[in-house]
Amino acid sequence: MSSEAKDDGPAQPNAAAPTPQPPTVRETLRDLWRGIVSLWWGFFDWLAIVSWKTLLIIYGLGLLLAAMLNRPHPFFLFLVVSAIIKIVAGGKRRADLAARQATQRAETEQLERTAVEARMQALQAQIEPHFLFNTLGSIDQLIQTDPPRASKMQQSLIRYLRSALPEMRDGRRPTLGQQVELSRAFLDIMGVRMEARLQATIDVPEGLRSAVFPSMMLQTLVENAIKHGLEPRTEGGKVEIGARIVDGQLTVHVLDDGVGFAPKSDDGVGLANVRERLKALYGARAELVISVPPTGGTCATIKVPYEVGAAQ
Amino acid sequence: MHSKSAPTAVVADDERLMREQLAGRLKEAWPELVVVGQAVNGREAVAMVQSLEPDIVFLDISMPEMDGIKAAQLIAGKAHIVFVSAYDQYAIRAFEQGALDYVLKPVEPDRLAITCQRLRERLDEAPDPMHHLLEQLSDRLGTGAVKPRDYLRWVQASVGATIRMIPTSEILFFRAEDKYTRVQTDRFEALIRKPIKELIEELDPNEFWQIHRATLVRVDAITQVSRNFAGKQLVHLKGRDEKLEVSRSFNHLFKQM
Repeated sequence: MSSEAKDDGPAQPNAAAPTPQPPTVRETLRDLWRGIVSLWWGFFDWLAIVSWKTLLIIYGLGLLLAAMLNRPHPFFLFLVVSAIIKIVAGGKRRADLAARQATQRAETEQLERTAVEARMQALQAQIEPHFLFNTLGSIDQLIQTDPPRASKMQQSLIRYLRSALPEMRDGRRPTLGQQVELSRAFLDIMGVRMEARLQATIDVPEGLRSAVFPSMMLQTLVENAIKHGLEPRTEGGKVEIGARIVDGQLTVHVLDDGVGFAPKSDDGVGLANVRERLKALYGARAELVISVPPTGGTCATIKVPYEVGAAQ
Repeated sequence: MHSKSAPTAVVADDERLMREQLAGRLKEAWPELVVVGQAVNGREAVAMVQSLEPDIVFLDISMPEMDGIKAAQLIAGKAHIVFVSAYDQYAIRAFEQGALDYVLKPVEPDRLAITCQRLRERLDEAPDPMHHLLEQLSDRLGTGAVKPRDYLRWVQASVGATIRMIPTSEILFFRAEDKYTRVQTDRFEALIRKPIKELIEELDPNEFWQIHRATLVRVDAITQVSRNFAGKQLVHLKGRDEKLEVSRSFNHLFKQM
């Protein structure tokens, strides 16, 4: 414990012994002193941990011994000193333990956070090559047939890439507003490509745009709705993004009227990742719910604690 | 039989812009080729091959309802097939082995010219049935008939007024209760009608173990197995006080290793 700190504290009376003394004697004395010091701290620690019940039993035995020897004074001295030390040391010991636990907790939390952040970076680096090449192909075609539309689509692609790529660079926490803009750019692009097969609506109140919302999760839900809900159908369908506060929680949903969920579909890594990240970020305070609306299709809902992010 | 009349082609892609781009660039690369039909999915492509009997079909690989690989399996031997894809490292590798051709989207005119040259040379030959290649492709892309068994990954259950899809990875256990099966997650419970017997058949046996006639438990959720005073094994689960009894016939699952 703190024995090292006390070790060189009070000047040793024995150290004043004449210098010509052979070193072996000095070493012996020093070892002896160290033994006493460590015994003392051992006793101190023992007093700190030992329960009052045990201590009372020892007092009883001590009293018996004192009565037998008829020497009460040393006993009462021991009783008073040990009781005082017990009271003082108990507090010190508890504080020690609490400090050690807090350090440990902080360390594991830091570790977890680093791991999660690394994984998020890897995730965000993924931009579906299919999406990118198909979009570039459409722009290429529109340049010949409809240049103003080509330019608009290219701007959407730039907006999409800009909001998907640099999120890790600025330290601020992502807001729902940013996440909605990212998905809006994506839906604009898909709208040009899928034409009448995609009807998208976004219904997010202005007041919720500043709420903190984890990055790329909304986008995962939107991509799923299109890829697994609408694209498998030749006639396509609708996608709706909505957000509100329900019971103090920010509730964001992506609803589609597509082919619906196949119970055996292994939804790839998308939804599992969202779920894992929510757990890492919020524990039990956040949730991803997949439900089947009465109208068919799929509704994916993310619920997170409502927090307002830093002003833009 | 084709040499006299102009060669014909069908273009299949679910995106109109992509179909028009390919048709337009084909016109530049091969002016005599007539695009007789544009299909929006694999099924339509197959139907058009039947009715229009084109010499060549350009098939996008990912399309709704029937993808390009499946369509090719039905078309093979009836027309020359060229695959079109935005990005498919597997497909590209397969095509590199020869047999037929592929085009990457967005279609580059120079690359398309080479494809057209190859097609012109082969137009008089009978179309390759491509059994081997298609098999290989469908294996790689996971669209063929031979596929690892699909297990149940989601359970549909009513929770309150909504129907929820619960991922099996969130489920702690299933337990038969009267006419229903109780589905327990760490947040809520729900009742479904599917009996334990059917669930055993559909769930991944490595994910869920049967420990009792009435109970299926997710292996990952088990924290420990203890014995009660009567010597019965009890399964403890992550974050739950409720313990599940192991019936004697399933005791072997938890034999000491």
